Amino acid sequence: MSSAITGQWQEAMHLDDLWEGEMEGVEIDGKKVLLVNIDGEVRAYKNRCPHQAWALDEGDFDGQTITCVRHMWTFDALSGKGTNPDNCELITYPCRVEEDGTILVDVR
Amino acid sequence: MSTRRHVLVGGGVAAAATATHLRKHGFDGEIVLVGDEPQPPYERPPLSKDFLLGTTEFEEFQVRPPAWYDEQSVDLRVGIRVTAIDVPGRSVTLSTGERLGYDGLVLATGVRPRRLPGFDGDRVHYLRTAADSQRLRAQLAESERVVVIGAGFIGCEVAAAAVGLGKQVTIFDPAPTPLARVLGATIGSVMTGIHRSRGVQIRAGEYISELRHTGDGMLLTSNLGHRVECDLVVVGIGCEPNVELAAEAGLATDGGIVVDEYGRTSAPDIYAAGDVAAQYHPVYGRTIRVEHHDNALRQGANVALNLTGSAEPFAEAHWFWSDQYEHSLQSVGRPADLEDLVIRGSLEDHDFSAFSLVDGRIQAVISLNRPRDVLEVRRMLFAPHEVTAEQLRDESVPLKRLIPRSPWATARA
Repeated sequence: MSSAITGQWQEAMHLDDLWEGEMEGVEIDGKKVLLVNIDGEVRAYKNRCPHQAWALDEGDFDGQTITCVRHMWTFDALSGKGTNPDNCELITYPCRVEEDGTILVDVR
Repeated sequence: MSTRRHVLVGGGVAAAATATHLRKHGFDGEIVLVGDEPQPPYERPPLSKDFLLGTTEFEEFQVRPPAWYDEQSVDLRVGIRVTAIDVPGRSVTLSTGERLGYDGLVLATGVRPRRLPGFDGDRVHYLRTAADSQRLRAQLAESERVVVIGAGFIGCEVAAAAVGLGKQVTIFDPAPTPLARVLGATIGSVMTGIHRSRGVQIRAGEYISELRHTGDGMLLTSNLGHRVECDLVVVGIGCEPNVELAAEAGLATDGGIVVDEYGRTSAPDIYAAGDVAAQYHPVYGRTIRVEHHDNALRQGANVALNLTGSAEPFAEAHWFWSDQYEHSLQSVGRPADLEDLVIRGSLEDHDFSAFSLVDGRIQAVISLNRPRDVLEVRRMLFAPHEVTAEQLRDESVPLKRLIPRSPWATARA
């Protein structure tokens, strides 16, 4: 599930603070957002497990898979698709990284 | 050319997981899933929690949306029982009278609540199915005084939900400490304290010896002679495996349907998975029956692997959770001795992990509000590692650092 790009990009973080293999919870425009760096690819998801809305940044990221620790639901970090169970999906926000390393997210 | 057909008996997550994984592994024959409940497979954990509270709807915890079964050509037969298995004839008889031949048969018949003789009637509840939960939810809405018999997970979760709905709740349990049988006395006491602080009356070491229906409620008498009036009783004193179908067909049963590490019963091409399966576990070297959601899913998936020809022993760690109030209780592994646990964190603050440690190896962890610890232990549990009680107690030593880094140590994700 993805939100449409509205063009309202907002600064979320700097790439220097989100290393490869790391994830971080941030708040943008009142919305809880999870930023993940998968081998240099940055993704932005709603920071809520689709199961019971648990904050995903309290969970685990092993470089590939995001695990919600509340009930161990797992998600592919690149696609946001559920891997166990496989019939769910994280909510994706449009996200891009500027040349200077600024991570921009569109949460509108 | 004849089409192969696998018949899955039981409408819970184990059978649903088998169906899912049969298709994932490319099985393109017929799959018939026969369940005696009226709904397609759903998850049971919410039945004693959110569903009672009314914060989640049934549709949200169906294993698959109803349309999925059509899309995947899974022949879903709900509201139907399998009444007999003809082992030599490789067929089953359904309650409709129909006979179905099978190439593979998976018995995932689950468990049923153990009943207390004489504890029946409109206001007495046992909780296993969505229908049970719906009935309890409806009656909770018009009840004030709730008595829970049995302080196990179901009883404690129902108590938490009922308190959340503003009810007066009393739990009776014959053991001196609730939950001690599964969590040990130390953690059992912590959980008791949590319930008491929420206003739940816990009557430990006491059980109900008599139930009498009155005009508008019930009058209970305990073994100590105490009388309690209430509007509603929930009995949660454990479950019994549904082995009858298998036993009548001559399959080996012993407190469950006995299966080997591949999920195979004593009869050819018949497997068992989920709560009903008493399975040989290669890591523990003995037969274990587990009544937990995660185990049912994994065993169901494993049987699908074995039905599609890639023999894989089931050697997973046992993991479960119990959500009570805002607290997350989780455990992985099998504790060696529940009265000998190493505590990391604070019991008082409800923020701890309790480790069962034998000869430098973690056997299990039980955590309250530290699910990360459980995740990390799950990864290292069956991998070589060596830790001391001091390291586990010392919160400056991250558990992650205890995970073996050697290339031959296969950490389980």
